[in-house]
Amino acid sequence: MIEFFQSPVTQTILTALNQGFIVTLELFFVTLIGAIPLGLVIAFGSMNRLAPLARPTRWLLRRRGREPRWFARALIVFRPIQLICRLLVWIVRGTPLILQIIAIYYVPGLVMDGGTPWPRGEMGRMTAVCVAFIINYAFYFSEIFRGGIQGVPKGQQEAGLVLGMTKGQIFFKVTLLQMVKRIVPPMSNEIITLVKDTSLSRAIALQEVIWAAESFMKGNQGISGLWWPLMFTAVYYLAFSAIVTMVLGRLEKKLDYFQV
Amino acid sequence: MKKILALILALCLSLSLAACGGNNAPQDQNSPAGDDPATTTAPAQSAAVEEGGDTESDVAYVQAQGTLYVGITNFAPMDYKEAGSDEWIGFDADMAKAFAESLGVNVEFQEITWDYKVQELDSKTIDCVWNGMTINDEVTAAMAVSDPYCTNYQVLVYPADKAAEFEGLTSLEGLYVAVESGSAGEDAAEALGATTVPVQAQSNTLMEVQSGNSDAAVIDVLMAAEMTGEGTSYADLAYSLNLNEAQGLESENYGVGFRKGSDLVDAFNEFWAQAVADGTVLEIATTYGLQDAVILE
Repeated sequence: MIEFFQSPVTQTILTALNQGFIVTLELFFVTLIGAIPLGLVIAFGSMNRLAPLARPTRWLLRRRGREPRWFARALIVFRPIQLICRLLVWIVRGTPLILQIIAIYYVPGLVMDGGTPWPRGEMGRMTAVCVAFIINYAFYFSEIFRGGIQGVPKGQQEAGLVLGMTKGQIFFKVTLLQMVKRIVPPMSNEIITLVKDTSLSRAIALQEVIWAAESFMKGNQGISGLWWPLMFTAVYYLAFSAIVTMVLGRLEKKLDYFQV
Repeated sequence: MKKILALILALCLSLSLAACGGNNAPQDQNSPAGDDPATTTAPAQSAAVEEGGDTESDVAYVQAQGTLYVGITNFAPMDYKEAGSDEWIGFDADMAKAFAESLGVNVEFQEITWDYKVQELDSKTIDCVWNGMTINDEVTAAMAVSDPYCTNYQVLVYPADKAAEFEGLTSLEGLYVAVESGSAGEDAAEALGATTVPVQAQSNTLMEVQSGNSDAAVIDVLMAAEMTGEGTSYADLAYSLNLNEAQGLESENYGVGFRKGSDLVDAFNEFWAQAVADGTVLEIATTYGLQDAVILE
């Protein structure tokens, strides 16, 4: 067993897998850092109640002294920002991530005259994959955030108003805090899925850990026809999932001090 | 009010990002086409790309970029890395370096997913596909392909202990044969009546055979020689049977693929003829054991 791990072939393979896993980790952290704030913005968008046509419609109805019929009712509840956000949520959640990655990387270059807008070479692939992952995960996160915010009882906000807090204070000091506590378990789910989803980036030949492992099946650095490295990548994913689970578990415990 | 404004701006940002994402991609077509009258009339997206390739010199484009991006896969002895080294070597890699030098540009090797080689070329993420690519109808329809520079044929790979059953076969009827999806091997196996099992890469076909999920596999002879036998996970696999001969076909030819309508093809053919004449090609081919396969004329 020890001999196996000390052999030069194994060393070469492990070095390549480590390099690949660093790419995986980069993608993981960039996605997380980008998708959480963007997800919050989208969550606000899909809860936005701005209805620009409600007032003029009501005014018109009042002037003419009519009861609202179906068309007027539709105009009153027409909320464009909410509509666009929910439409995008549907599109992004309803299409496979692998398709989004391929579309984001190849389609602009195929459609535009000057060729791809992404930088050429390895950096361009990384950037494109990061953008695809951030967009995809932001829309998933946004629905979790929305559930968390809407799950905070209205009484909490009313209590804030009674205490004379501003809207901003109520959101950051009352709602957001309680939302964070509520969303930790569903977010853990998504984040662990994200660890494994990073492997989809090899669709556009980003050299992450699975790509590195597969290269030893067909031949890389004089080593060919080995399939154990591919199975061995499971160790990396499992170890990292364990760390993520531990960190999130600790966070959940920390937030346990207040109860709603 | 300010908050609503900020929110709207943030949303616009995220929406424009999503629009880049290709969900609304056809809209993007209008903006760059606006300042080029030749493309505004072109209805199809692909037409716009092709016209772009026709009107501009691809050689000038690459020289302006200063780097020739060569699309490859890890494929010994064409493009590969030696143990502990980070440099791409191989017959194709060495010749690509020489070609880039003749253009006066740097060379950068980019590993790609083979299925997307045409999209990679057309979206200009790479400038050529140079990786032991078999010239067939699909390739010539989608790319500008150079003169053939090397020959190859397909072989049947099977478990060594069943060699007696496979040697001398002229038909593959009733056999499950693993092939790389879209490869020349797939065509050959189908022509011989096999039930094909298409997988993602040539390397994966061997896993199919090893695990017993397929009876045999059809891959390039160069690859079969590299991947089976002692020192690999596939020591129990053997290969024989020139499928090109079995079909009464000529051997396949390897070529280099460029963007459709690119003038890099002419530059390449000129470069290659000269490299053959001054002995460079034979010298490099001999280094990698390809002296019999390379075309010298």
